[in-house]
Amino acid sequence: MVKIERQRYIIFQILKEEIFQIDQQEILRSIWQSIWRYFGMREANKTGLWLLELGEDYGIIRCSNVTKEVVLTALALIKEVKSKNVIISPIKTSGTIKAIKKIKNLKNK
Amino acid sequence: MNFDDLNEIKEKLELCEKLGIKNLILEPKDDVQNISLEFKRIIKNITKINIYYRHTLKPDNLQDFKKRIKRFNNYPEILSVETSNKDIQIHAVRDSRVDLISFSHPEMIKTLTNGVISLAKQNNSFIELSLSSIMVKNRSIQSKNFRYLYRFIYKVRNLKANYILSGDFNELFDIRHPRALISICYTLLDIPLAEIKRAFKENPVRLLKKIEKRQNNAILENGVKLIK
Repeated sequence: MVKIERQRYIIFQILKEEIFQIDQQEILRSIWQSIWRYFGMREANKTGLWLLELGEDYGIIRCSNVTKEVVLTALALIKEVKSKNVIISPIKTSGTIKAIKKIKNLKNK
Repeated sequence: MNFDDLNEIKEKLELCEKLGIKNLILEPKDDVQNISLEFKRIIKNITKINIYYRHTLKPDNLQDFKKRIKRFNNYPEILSVETSNKDIQIHAVRDSRVDLISFSHPEMIKTLTNGVISLAKQNNSFIELSLSSIMVKNRSIQSKNFRYLYRFIYKVRNLKANYILSGDFNELFDIRHPRALISICYTLLDIPLAEIKRAFKENPVRLLKKIEKRQNNAILENGVKLIK
């Protein structure tokens, strides 16, 4: 029987060396570049990556449960955005957006 | 880390705190044998992270190693040895004063032999492999480093020795949370999740317990405790 693919939501924090704005296009480009660089087409087409939210120092993405670790690795291996040093560090992975939003609210407090 | 530069230490610790790292092992850059209590108190006031200390011996030859190791009887911190000399590696791994045999540089990883691995297993000491080489910008060097790590981690796993995977990142913005490093090892180095967690979590705890036991005079040897 074919297993149904489920979704995973990942909240991550963005630590920057200098203060600068990152828009949705740039962060998505960096994540896709990292996935392509380390995993190629074979994994990239399975990820089902979607950026749900992007704040000043955090972001929420959605991906497939099968490629969760691939996306986490790609996030961890991003070193630069706009030629400036950044760390994109995953905080928590969850199966529901509700749980992720709770963590986001806790972080904001 | 340069223990004379408090600002550098503060900067790194703050970043680690932001990343959510809870435990850290600090190592002095210079040949500082005894870390003062005063220094430890200052560090404790700077951060909430649990800090442990280690000292790495980098001997030039076997005579140098034998001479320097004499000063480390009952050493209260973690003692590691880092060398590409195979004779020193074999001596160090047999020595009960040495807790870790460290291989942080790709050139050094290449010198890791089956003999050293099986001796480490017999003597209950740990092999440390550093992941710092994977954060290199140059793609071809990075892929080479991944290949070295893959080959030698596989070798260590095959011989069922105790190993620790550490960050050991030199640059501030190369530091990553252990969970992120676990993902990297799982996807790119093909190590099962349970085993990586052992290398990142359980083995360092075992190493720290070993140090604690060494400080306890009531424990005569492994499994023998003097009850008064």
